Parts: sequence; C-alpha cells; structure tokens
Amino acid sequence: MGRYLLQRLGFALLLVFVVSSAALLLTRAAPGDTLDPQERARINHELGLDRPLLAQYLSWLGGAARLDFGESVLYSRPVKALLGERALNTAILATAALILATAIGIPLGIYSGSRSTGIGPSIVRALSVLGLSVPPLIGSLALVFLAARTGWFPVGGMTSAAGLEMSWSRYLLDLARHIPVPALALAIPLAASLERLQSQAIAAASRETFVAASRARGLERMQSLLRHAWPVSLRPVLGLYGVMIGSLFSGSFIVEVVTSWPGLGRLMFDALKARDIFLVAGCAATGAVFLAIGTLIADMLLAWTDPRVRAGERA
Amino acid sequence: MNRRGVIFMIALVAVAVLAPTLAPYDAGRAFLDFLHAPPMRPHLDGLTPVAHPVVLVDRMEQRFAVDRSRTVPLPWFGESDLPVFLLGADDFGRDVLSRVLYGARTSIALALVATLGAVFIGTLAGAWAAYRGGWVDETVMRVADFVLVLPVIYVVLVLRAILPLVLSASTVFVLVALIFILVGWPFVAKGVRSIVAVERNREYVQAARSLGASHSRIVFRHLVPACAGHLIVQATLLLPAFILAEATLSFIGLGFPDPVASWGTMLAGAGNYNAIVRFPWTLAPAVAIFAVVLATNLIALNTRRRKLLNQH
Amino acid sequence: MNRQSRALLSVLLIGVITFVGWRSCSAPPDDSNGEIRISTVPTRGGVVRSSLRSEPRTFNRLLDANFPVDLFSLVTGSKLVRVNRATRQLEPGLAEKWSASPDNLTYTLTLRDGVTWSDGTPFTSADVVFTFQAVYDPKVNSILASALKVNGQPLKVSAPDPRTVVVTLPATFGPGIAILDNLHLVPKHKLEAAFKNGTFAQALAVTTPPAELALLGPFVLRSYEPGQRIVFDRNPRYWKKDAAGIQLPYADQLVLEVVPDQNAELLRLQAGQIDMMQQQIRPEDVATLRPLVDQGKARVIELGVGTDPDLLFFNLRTPYWQKDPRRDWILRKEFRKAISHAVDREAYANTVFLGSGVPIWGPITPGNKDWFSPNIQRYAHSIDRAKEILAGLGLTNRDQDEWLEDANNAEARFTLLTYRGNSSLERGAAVLRDALRPAGIAVDVVALEQGALVQRMVKGDFEAIFFFFSATNLDPSMNLDFWLSSGSAHIWNIGQTKPATEWEKEIDDLMMQVTSQPDPAERRRLFEQVQKIFAENLPALYFVAPRLHMGVTERLGGLEPAILRPQLLWNVDRITVRQDGAQ
Repeated sequence: MGRYLLQRLGFALLLVFVVSSAALLLTRAAPGDTLDPQERARINHELGLDRPLLAQYLSWLGGAARLDFGESVLYSRPVKALLGERALNTAILATAALILATAIGIPLGIYSGSRSTGIGPSIVRALSVLGLSVPPLIGSLALVFLAARTGWFPVGGMTSAAGLEMSWSRYLLDLARHIPVPALALAIPLAASLERLQSQAIAAASRETFVAASRARGLERMQSLLRHAWPVSLRPVLGLYGVMIGSLFSGSFIVEVVTSWPGLGRLMFDALKARDIFLVAGCAATGAVFLAIGTLIADMLLAWTDPRVRAGERA
Repeated sequence: MNRRGVIFMIALVAVAVLAPTLAPYDAGRAFLDFLHAPPMRPHLDGLTPVAHPVVLVDRMEQRFAVDRSRTVPLPWFGESDLPVFLLGADDFGRDVLSRVLYGARTSIALALVATLGAVFIGTLAGAWAAYRGGWVDETVMRVADFVLVLPVIYVVLVLRAILPLVLSASTVFVLVALIFILVGWPFVAKGVRSIVAVERNREYVQAARSLGASHSRIVFRHLVPACAGHLIVQATLLLPAFILAEATLSFIGLGFPDPVASWGTMLAGAGNYNAIVRFPWTLAPAVAIFAVVLATNLIALNTRRRKLLNQH
Repeated sequence: MNRQSRALLSVLLIGVITFVGWRSCSAPPDDSNGEIRISTVPTRGGVVRSSLRSEPRTFNRLLDANFPVDLFSLVTGSKLVRVNRATRQLEPGLAEKWSASPDNLTYTLTLRDGVTWSDGTPFTSADVVFTFQAVYDPKVNSILASALKVNGQPLKVSAPDPRTVVVTLPATFGPGIAILDNLHLVPKHKLEAAFKNGTFAQALAVTTPPAELALLGPFVLRSYEPGQRIVFDRNPRYWKKDAAGIQLPYADQLVLEVVPDQNAELLRLQAGQIDMMQQQIRPEDVATLRPLVDQGKARVIELGVGTDPDLLFFNLRTPYWQKDPRRDWILRKEFRKAISHAVDREAYANTVFLGSGVPIWGPITPGNKDWFSPNIQRYAHSIDRAKEILAGLGLTNRDQDEWLEDANNAEARFTLLTYRGNSSLERGAAVLRDALRPAGIAVDVVALEQGALVQRMVKGDFEAIFFFFSATNLDPSMNLDFWLSSGSAHIWNIGQTKPATEWEKEIDDLMMQVTSQPDPAERRRLFEQVQKIFAENLPALYFVAPRLHMGVTERLGGLEPAILRPQLLWNVDRITVRQDGAQ
C-alpha cells in the first residue's frame, strides 16, 4: 500500500509540474495584452519578461520551487499572496458545497435505498435525476435569479463591503449569508450523484444475508440499516468523494464567475483576460495542487476500501 | 437503449437542422422598437392562433404595454407588420425563440461533431493500445490517464485563450471542436481498451486470426463492435458535457463571437443580475440546456439499468 | 421511458409553459428626473463611499495617468490653479493670485500663506520648481511632460522667494495659465533623494507606508488593502475653508471599494454599500435604480451630454493598404461619407443608449458647451444616398450575394475592432454592422481586450477601430495630441513626420493658431474652421453622444456634477454626508 501511494504522490507532483509549466509557456506565447505598449515595456523590464523564454522559465521554476511565483502585473502584488487568499476562498466554497452535498445526498440516499416502493422514494429519485441535470452553470444562473428576485440572499461576492473593520462574528455571519447561492449551485449535482450511489449501495447491502439475519433478530428497521447496511455501503460512496473533489474544482470555476466569488477560478479568469502570465501559471499550479490532493485522497480512499489495493496489487 | 430517448434526441437534432424553417424570424433580425420586449401570450382567435401586440411605453426603462385592442397572428399563421415574441426579445430586439432554435443548431452541431470525434479517436487509441499491448498500451494509457486528471475547464480556457481572438465563426467551430476532442477522447479510450483487452483473447478473435484476417479487419469487424454499448454510454455522457462546455466558453467570451446564435452567447448577458431579474426570459437557453442534459441523463440511466438487468 | 421519467418530462413541460407565460411586472411610471439638491447647511463628519473598478499600480501621478492614480492624486492633492469642472472657470488653488505680463508669456503666482504638507512641512515654491524638474527630466519619463509643454517646449519656472513662482511660457498659449491645471505637485523634501539617485520611478509605490506620504489634498491615505479598498482620512492640515470659515473637507473619511465588475458595482449601490459608482451608470441602469429613487434612497443625476463619444476610424496609413485589393476606395473620404449616410443615428441612439443620446457629426459634442459648433456638415440618414456615393467609387453589386464589389471583384468588407466588455461599444459596433448591411458593406466585428486593441492601434495593425477616448480637458488646445498630424493620439495615422494630406496640414496650421491665440472669441472661430474641415474629411466618424447619468445615494449632499470624470468626486472636499441614515 505504501509503495502504491508513493507512486500516486509522484504522479501528483508530475501533474503540478506539467500543468503549471505548460500554462506559463502557453500563455507567454499567446497574443493579446491589456497594457499600453510603453507601460508593458517598462513592466516587462522590471519583471524580467524581456529575457529569452528559456531563461525566464528556468528562473520562474527556481522561484516556484521556493513557492515564489513572481509578481502579478494585474494587481501589482506577489502572486503568492493573491493565490493564498483566493485559494482559501475556493476551499471555503468547495468545503461548504461538499458538506451541503453530503448533508442532502447521503440521508436521502439511505432513505430511498431502504425502501423500494412508495411515493417518497420515487420523489427522491425523480429529484435526483433532475438534480443531475442541473450543471453548475445552469444552477448558479437559476439560483442567482431566485436570490435576486426574492431578495432572500445577497447576490454576488463573498462578503458585503458594509463594515470596514468587521468583527469576526459579523464577518462569519456575512459569509454565511453569501455562501448558500454558490455552494448550492455546486452541491446540487453532487448531492444527486451521492443520493443515487448511496441508494444503490444501501439497496445492495440490505440484500446481503447478515442484514436480513439481523432484522430477523428483531432489530428496529432503521437501527439495523444504520448499524449494518450503512457501513457496508460506505465504501463505494467514499470512493466517489475523490472524484467529487476534482469536479468541485472544475465546477467552481463557472460558479465563481457567475456569482463573483473571489476564488481561484475567478482569479484565473481575470488573469487570462489580462494576460498576466505569472498569475496564470500560479493559478494553474495551485489548481493542479488542489486536483492532485483530490486524486491523492481518492487514491487513499480507494486503497482503504479496496482490499486488492491494500494488498499491494494495482487497482 | 431507450427508444423514446432516442426519439427525443432525433427530434432535437431535427429541430436544430430545421431551425431556419421553424424559427419565426432570422436569428440576427433586430426589431429596434422592441428591445427586451416581454413574451407575448398566444391565444386562439377562431381557428388562428394570435397574440396581442406589445407597445413601447418607456424606451429608457424598456417598459411595454399590451395592446388588447389588436391581435396579430403568430408568425407561422399569417403575415403581420408587428412582430410576435413568444419567448420575448433580447437586448437587441431579437426574437429569443428564433435564437434558441438557431442556437440549438450551433450548440448541438458542435457537441455532436466533438462527441463523434472523441468517440472515433478514443476508439482508435483504445483499440490500438489493447491490440498491440506492450509499450504502445503503456504510453497511450499513461497519456489518457494524464489528460483525465487535468482540470478540464482550465485546459480548455488556456487553449482557447492562446488562440488568436480574431477568428471567424467557422474557425471557432473547428478549433473548439478540436479542443473538446482533445480532452474527451481518453474517457472513451479507457473503456474501449479494457473491453478489447478481454475480447482479443476470445475464441472468435483467435479463429479470425488463424483464418488470416488482417489486423485492421479484426479490430474493426470484431473488436470495435464489441464496444458498442460502452461507446453509446460514453457518447450520452460527452454530448451534454460538450454542450455545457460550449455554453461556458461563450458565456465568458471565449467561444463564438456575438452575432452567432449559440446557447452560450445568448447567456453571455446573464452576468448582469439586474438584467436577469428584469428580463428573465433571456435565460431561455439555460432551460434548453437543462432539457438536453435531462434527456441524455434519462437515456443514460435507462441504458445503465438495462445493462444491469442483462447481467443478472 | 418509464413512468417516472415521463412524470419528470411533464414537470419540465409545465415549467417551460410557465416560463413562456411569464409577464414582467412594470414599475409605476414616474418621470421626475433626479434633481440636484445642494444642502444649504453643510455638516461636518461622515464617510463618503465610492467604488473603484481597477486598482492603482503606483501613487505617482507623474508616471501613470490611469483613472485610479488620477483619482488618488485628485483627492490627496491640490493644484496651483484649477479649472472648475462644473463652471469650467479657472480658479485659484494653492496660488491665491497671479498676474500676467503684457505679452501673456510670463505669469507671476503668489502662493497661499501657511500651507503645509500633511506631515507638517511647509509647502513652498521650491516644491513647485522641483515638480517641474522631475516632470521634464528625461530619466523620469513623466507622462505629464507633453501636457506641460507649449509647442514641445518646456515652461521656465523660477522661485524668487518661498511664496512666489514665476512661470514663463515659450510662446503665447491660448489657455494661458490654465496649463497648470495639468500639474500634480510632489513633495521635494520626500522625493529629492530618490530623484537624485535615479529611483524616482520606484518612489510612491503602492506599498509606501501611509505615514511616509506627504500630501496636500483634502484627504490623506489611511490604508490600502489591495483587492479590497483604499481608505482615506480627512487631512487636518488641508488649506481650504468654506465661505463660513469651516475647514474642509466636510467628510471625515473617504472609502474607495475595489469592485472590478460593473454589475457588482451597481449591486453595491443598490444595497447602499457605496454612495456612488466610479463613473456614470449605463442607460439601462437608470431603470434598475428607479425603485430606489421612488423610495427616496437614491437619485439619478443627469450630467448632460457626454464629451467623449464613441468613434469609428479607418487606418489611413497608405502603406498598410498597398497590397490590399481594396486600396482604391477604402481610403477615400467618399467611402466614409457613404458610411455616415448609411447610419440612422436615431435608431443608433435608441438601441445603444435607449434613446438617451443626441446625434453628432464630429468629435466635439454639444456637451462641450464652449467649443461645440453646430455649423458643420451633417450626413442625413439615406441608404440610397450611401449607395449612390458607393457606386461613384465603383462599388456595385456584381454577383448574387448582398454585398457590393468593385471592378476587380473585391468585396466592400472590413474588420472593425472594438473593446470587449464595454456595452456601448459592443452594442454600437453591432448596430453599425447591421446599419451598413443594407448599403451592401460587410463589417466583421471583433471584440478585443483593451490592451490588445491599443497595441494594434499604436502599431497601425488594424483596418478600422471603434472605441472612445477619455479626454481630461475640454479645451482643444489641451488635446493637441489628437488634432495635430504629429500627435500620439492622431489615431488614424499616428505621429506623422509631415502632414500626409492637405487637410491635415490645414488643421495643423489652424490648431497652432487656436493654441497661440489669446482671444477666446477668435479661438472659437478658428476652431470652428477645424471642425468644418474635420466633418468634410471624416478621418473619424461620430454617430451619437449619450446623455450621462450618475447614480448617488440620498446620503450625499454638496454635489456639483461635472461631465468629465470623476464626475462627482472632483470636489470631494465639499461633499457632505447625512448622518442619520449612516450605518
């Protein structure tokens, strides 16, 4: 198992390296610019962008190894500082979405999986199919529309600008009012897939004999489900989480753009538009790190749930 | 494969192909006095479906009043000097319904081309890898693995952003389709590889080989057909994903240029929250995307269920 | 399809039908326009909150003319003399009075007594001399240099005593001492060292600690949180007092929230989180603010007709078209006249500005009251007239398609570049494309990011461009870069060594006269000539100038709206804040 994880770690590092290098080199080669030529010439000189591409690349690489990604032209700030705060915002959003998806998807899945007939499970199943068909772009547009129309939630941004020096409690309260719209937009399809998988897993587990046996012993229905069937069903569900982290990261891009959430996706979008190459490369690198962590977690969960991997075989 | 689902898809493609006939107006036709005109409710007048026209009340605030004293026939049922907007008009006074129909053409055609391309490339790569084995297999699958874990939307963004911005609509179509194929093929290739890897050792393949069949004949006549189920499932997954990807690209201004009606370009104005609230009918393409995704999901779910049943 | 999915589809269908039947609810009609009330009793205190769409890259206005830096300099600085943005009159600033020599070349300015920088150091004539020195220094490469020269020659500045500055112009200059409105002062005691050791460009970086900044304006920097906001405190050492002797500014604090997106900016205004936006609101936003206006929470101020209209110009560099099959007609003024005839300016105003605009035929709009001339050639909307002119150029429809061709079968088609993300430009370009279609001219519109567009414009790598200029001054002599054929903003053919055409030479000569002539009436007469020649030759086409609107919350008073940006913050020291509604 150790060797397997080490191998995956190597793969993750390679991913980070290739993605960020490719982003840097590709963006450098791309046309278009948002600065006027004089200013660009001055800034290029200050940042050393007028050197040969290879020299630039090597020095960027050297810096990146020390987590120094250079200076952003767009914001006149170190890329590292920008990445830090924006990645945190994306992480907050992604975590909220994950918790929301779990809180909605898992209980509903247990409910619908434990009963094969009846109107309740049918409604849940139907909602799931609908939910699966609401990708983050559509979901965020619809939720923004609802929020703006009803005024139940503030639209756009992560906090309101009202207080200058907001206290922590006020800040959290403010955040809590802004987060439902983007988080729900991300969580809907995830919750739907969780519900579907959990439902099927529970149904499968309930058919296993020992659950039937425990029910024969007279255990309460719910109790038996939670004590016996659910742990068995957990493994495939946990496997899904690794995949979900990856899709959260991709999905959060458009949600951040639509809802003006100041996260990594929005930052990358602005950086691409402004041709701020160090910032693009930095975003890509951070994105790849997120993704690599996601795949690592997925691999670890897989290793934990799949005995073949645990035994050291290749999955 | 679900028959009704297929019918739905065929209907959708038919709508897209027939857009010029079905759409009441040309997608680019702007009615200057009807900027953001609201949807008109159709009703029957005798046997002719008609609607009350709307009249501009305040140009600055884009307010309209329904003129109940008059009726105009729906554009399919008679000529009129007043336009009828069943789904309202957009910010240029263009008919949203016509643009949704024409947009279906662009969006679905792009997604279909990209899906077919990805399925084709993926099948070739997967079959080749499995058939040849060895280092070919290793390389192809490593590359596929790598592309699979890439943050797709970022890759597409960077790739599209480095292409020249001054591009004609048809060039954009080809380039975006190529980018989609590039990120889409591994999904197909992985499955094809594992199926072919199993099938190539089956007796009928061994038999064909001993009869002296060529490699390409074995691959295309025997191995690829074995993957048909997998290919259909993958296609139903890729198609909506590509429709969405186009919408996302055009939404942020990296897809088709403005005059082209696609579902993404139509949504591009939706970044303005106040506009969404005041003119909700401009979100019609979002409903269309939702419908397509839902339809493909239904097909895919039923197909998977069928497969499960067949296994038992 | 099973029962469940059938049910789903019916739900969907019902949804679509509901969607179709949706009706927009319309707000109650109200045609009272936002009127400007200036409170009679100014009150001290309160926070003025505005937004900033982009962030400053430096605090050094000598090196950067972008809006955030300009605004920073405006709220934290004072000028020797300034042109009042609302009355367009020259008024005293740090120079309390001045006198001119009989030849109008030498001006002697007397500085106000007792003015100090925000750190307490006295402000003297030495600071003025130092600023001029820095502006003219080639190593500093100041962006202000050209605006502070007359005919390319620097002014001579001397300081006979700490309160006297003598400025000598190299030649007579129409605007006279108003040229000093372009001067942004910097503190000698803080920057002299940097200037001497060649690090002036790095001084006043945005990372400079606020306490290190010596300022002269109504406000001083309190903090700059990148990506968040810039906060300014009232400068207790500010020199200006109001008529009642109360020291300005009235407000205690000025906060500029960084909001990069115009939609988000508007939302903040709607939520009352900011009092005004960076600049005018879009025409469609007037309706969005209507409910707030009706509730008495905000008002919409009409600023008048804008002075920076969108313009379309072709690349008039002959070498660019040398190998192009269209070279015989695309550079001709008749081609541009045909375009001007083909555009229905009323429809343009209705589509792009929702009816809130006036048709124009030249660069000077009615909003520029001192310089606008109505007596220039106008091109009435007529597709037939346009086609006639085009036929005169040999452009007729020679095949089955809808476009015209010349004798060599080259199509009447050109690529029009414009800014992405600017709604009036993007919509305007689309309207132009549609307007030229019936005349048989095909336009391919391409929206680019701002920088990419400017780059192409400066390099001359374009066929036609549709965009706008932000002038900082309404006097044409202050915008010579645009008018003179040698100018860097003579966009259709930048920086010519000698005038490429006869009419450009004529304009050059006339503009030199406008600039050197001290008599205002004569200057206006000469400039009318310039406008006539311009409208006859159409190096740039103008269609509609919008009426500008500003959205402001009811909290603010003492506003004096101006047409140039910053339309309200230009007199930030006199803006008052109503206290009761404050959060």
